[in-house]
Amino acid sequence: MENDFKKEAQRQYLHFFRIWFIIVGILLVVTVLVVVAKNMTYTSRERHNAQAPAERVYDYAEVLTDAEEEQLRELIAEKEARIGCDLVLVTMRQPVEGSAAKEAYGYRYTDWKRNMQDIGDDFYDNHFYGYNAPYGDGALILDNWYEGQVGTHLSTSGRIFERFGNQEIDRALTYVDKYIESDPYKAYSASINYIADVMSGGRTELRGIFLMLALLVPIIAAGVFVGTHLRSKEGKNTTTATTYIAGGKPVMNLQRDDFVRKHVSQRRIQTSSSSGGSGGGGRGGAHVSSGGHSHGGGSHRR
Amino acid sequence: MIFKCKNCGGNSVYSPEKKMMYCPFCDSEKSDERQHEHAQMQVCPNCGGEVTYTEHTSALQCPYCDHYIIFDERIEGAYAPGRIIPFKLGKENVKGLIRDKFKKCTFAPTDFLSEVRLNTMTGEYIPFWMYNYNTRCQFQGEGVKRRVWVAGNVEYTESSYFHVVRDMSIAFQGIPADASVKMPDGIMDLLEPYNYGEMVPFQPEYMSGFLGEKYNMAAEMIESRAHAKMESSAATMLQQSISGYSSLTPANRSITAPPPGTEFDLLPVWVYRYTYKDKEYPFYVNGQTGKIIGTTPISKAKVWAYGATLWACLTAVIAMIGIMIV
Repeated sequence: MENDFKKEAQRQYLHFFRIWFIIVGILLVVTVLVVVAKNMTYTSRERHNAQAPAERVYDYAEVLTDAEEEQLRELIAEKEARIGCDLVLVTMRQPVEGSAAKEAYGYRYTDWKRNMQDIGDDFYDNHFYGYNAPYGDGALILDNWYEGQVGTHLSTSGRIFERFGNQEIDRALTYVDKYIESDPYKAYSASINYIADVMSGGRTELRGIFLMLALLVPIIAAGVFVGTHLRSKEGKNTTTATTYIAGGKPVMNLQRDDFVRKHVSQRRIQTSSSSGGSGGGGRGGAHVSSGGHSHGGGSHRR
Repeated sequence: MIFKCKNCGGNSVYSPEKKMMYCPFCDSEKSDERQHEHAQMQVCPNCGGEVTYTEHTSALQCPYCDHYIIFDERIEGAYAPGRIIPFKLGKENVKGLIRDKFKKCTFAPTDFLSEVRLNTMTGEYIPFWMYNYNTRCQFQGEGVKRRVWVAGNVEYTESSYFHVVRDMSIAFQGIPADASVKMPDGIMDLLEPYNYGEMVPFQPEYMSGFLGEKYNMAAEMIESRAHAKMESSAATMLQQSISGYSSLTPANRSITAPPPGTEFDLLPVWVYRYTYKDKEYPFYVNGQTGKIIGTTPISKAKVWAYGATLWACLTAVIAMIGIMIV
């Protein structure tokens, strides 16, 4: 008897959730297929640039251990194959500001920002970086450790230049800022991961929205479900105001609506006008490098 | 009294399906004969078995021979019901209705709709006082109609003031209040409305096959319940008669009624007392319209398990869609 009830309850459970289980099952298959397909398209990207060197990590400031450099090279290799863009990291320890520095290093300017931009762009161009072609798709993180002139510049090119607006550039640099004090390796890898995320179509805002949805919606839905089923209603009242009235309606003995007076008031309407701003994506910090190639980018000075 | 079948001596009962007296033992129709009128109440006039009854019982079933016994003393004189709505739905019909309604009730215990349990259902005639009111509603007050329009950048508001007078009479007929202590008032209210068009003068035959009670208390004692229903209905009618105003300020508003006329009637209710984990879950079904009032017992563990599954499924679905899109 007890067993029969259990079996019956199991049957009811499966019956109740059959649509759900089917949907989850189908989705699982589809998701696996989509993920596999995505990975296959990633690896199918071919590099068309023989001029650029194989090296991607130039730790002139010597802030990374050899092991960390090696790990970064591996990470960059994996991400490059996935997004089809060159990713270069350059650290240095060199003054980039003031007329003395301009003289000593032959900079075009005296200010930090424009010189960092020049160094980054020129490094990229002089090494012929670009996944699809020299000066092509890629980005370069230039991190200066020179005391008092510490900061990072991101130089974008090709598809990354097209895709990265000021917001994305700022985010990529913020990842460096966030961890650089405690762990330079973590700072650079986080930034590289972010760039790769954005370039692989992974819009991180969308990911955040989905995470929120995945956390909130099921909890709310299950809460409503449990709430409504724990409380059960006895029944609805189906009598109306006229149920027990003989003939269904009252007898009106007297009904008067006599007009007494009228009054008009006026009020001036306050008009207000406002204008909205406009936003856009891609081509953040666009400029042309000294070598005549289009770059984008931005810097964070710490 | 007991209604006996002239053909086989079995117990004739009123059949809601056939709308007549019927003998379930030999299938005879209208073969009933009154026997044992004014028999003593302590023992079954048919088998002599001892029967237990309460202060208000007017009809019961002998636990030994299953005959339906009607106590003449409790349907006569001061206790004589004026009218009755005979059962229109038989037990099989009501079982079907309950099954239909609670079929989708996933969290009810599995034996809730079982044949054995549903067969314990009893048909009972519940004593009701019916109240008839001649109500007078009067209203005097000020109504304001507002009109707003804009010309240029000036907004104009025109307020028109009216003197509003209403005087109406409402004849309420048969506002019911159950005169049974054992029946919960709120539930009996929810079983309404009954169709009074099918009400007929009382005859004891209608009670054969069912349980019954005489009224437990006098009409005056529960008049306040009917009065409240009357007042709320009258207030609604009054309010509906005054429409089109943006705001209304009453100066004088009254709903009055002289003491109501009353009648004592019997109304049919099917009662299904389901017990789950030592707790009783009564179900009441309007024996005329089939309206069902009652709450099914709920297995809380079951609800939580289902909720958790729903949560897991939703999370999985959203997460997978997320993985595919992002």
